[in-house]
Amino acid sequence: MGIVITVTSGKGGVGKSTTLANLAVGMADEGKKVVAIDFDIGLRNLDMLLGLENRIVYNVIDVMEGKCNLSQALINDKHSKNLYFLPASQTNDKNILDQAKVKELLETLKKEFDIILLDSPAGIEGGFEHAIAYADRALIVSTPDVSSVRDADRVIGIIDAKSEKAQRGEEVDKHVIINRLKPELVEKGDMLNTEDVLNILALPLIGVVPDCDQVISSTNMGEPIIRDAKARSGEAYRRISKRMLGEEVDYLDLSVKKGFFKRMFS
Amino acid sequence: MSLFGNLFGKKETSASVARDRLKLVLAHERASNALPYMDEMKADIMEVIKKYTKVKDVHISSQSNQNIDVLEMEIILK
Repeated sequence: MGIVITVTSGKGGVGKSTTLANLAVGMADEGKKVVAIDFDIGLRNLDMLLGLENRIVYNVIDVMEGKCNLSQALINDKHSKNLYFLPASQTNDKNILDQAKVKELLETLKKEFDIILLDSPAGIEGGFEHAIAYADRALIVSTPDVSSVRDADRVIGIIDAKSEKAQRGEEVDKHVIINRLKPELVEKGDMLNTEDVLNILALPLIGVVPDCDQVISSTNMGEPIIRDAKARSGEAYRRISKRMLGEEVDYLDLSVKKGFFKRMFS
Repeated sequence: MSLFGNLFGKKETSASVARDRLKLVLAHERASNALPYMDEMKADIMEVIKKYTKVKDVHISSQSNQNIDVLEMEIILK
């Protein structure tokens, strides 16, 4: 039986879909059968991050409405046999998701896949509730800035209130991913550090992704940065993928390397 | 932190300001969002107190600090 992992954030634009795309590739590369579902109905974007936008015929709503079979809508990744993708629809009707049908779809997918990754819309709109309702685990993505951390805190409270698992008295396994950390700014005291964010959110960490210009070009190309062996953020995603699957991996060293004199006088 | 900063006491950084502001605003927001049972509980508590003494009002506030959640109750007697 597969597990449902929802990737979410309070604020938009913190790198939620990018994170999901990379972890999907990462866990597939670790040998798991993974399906990534774009639940951001109306605002499709996971397809471009995975470079699969030209292959879309059907979407997740078509499947739920019975317009096609699940196998017709699932798109296999270009590089990985283990990775599949289910696109969002581009309808304007955000209320089109039906709770019972969402559950049915996820139950079906659980039989076929080890990992079901849900890309939730940001914030606390209707689609968010659908994405969180059947989650076994949640990854909360936040950048180290005040508005992102504040909204993340709000969303964490809602996960506990809205998920079926929490309503049964169990707890949704929640972890924080800190995205776009700039070690130089943290060192100068001009950016919240990892400890600050974790203290405030009171949740365990699963990884810190350093800010990295290469992510932009990788997004341009539709090739998740995790496939770039040299990029630091790619390495961060590889390590998070392993941690997600229970492996203990050292955290990436994000300290700023400076010479002795620079350290004295900077 | 610069050498001078280290020598002459800790300079307040923008990150430490951010941290303090966040802690304050979240303590407030968590208190107002977290407790759907608050009104009902307040009414129950008032009933219990009324058995023993005259009560005017009960104020309950909640505070969250990392892993500890605290409810503070103030009972105002007539």
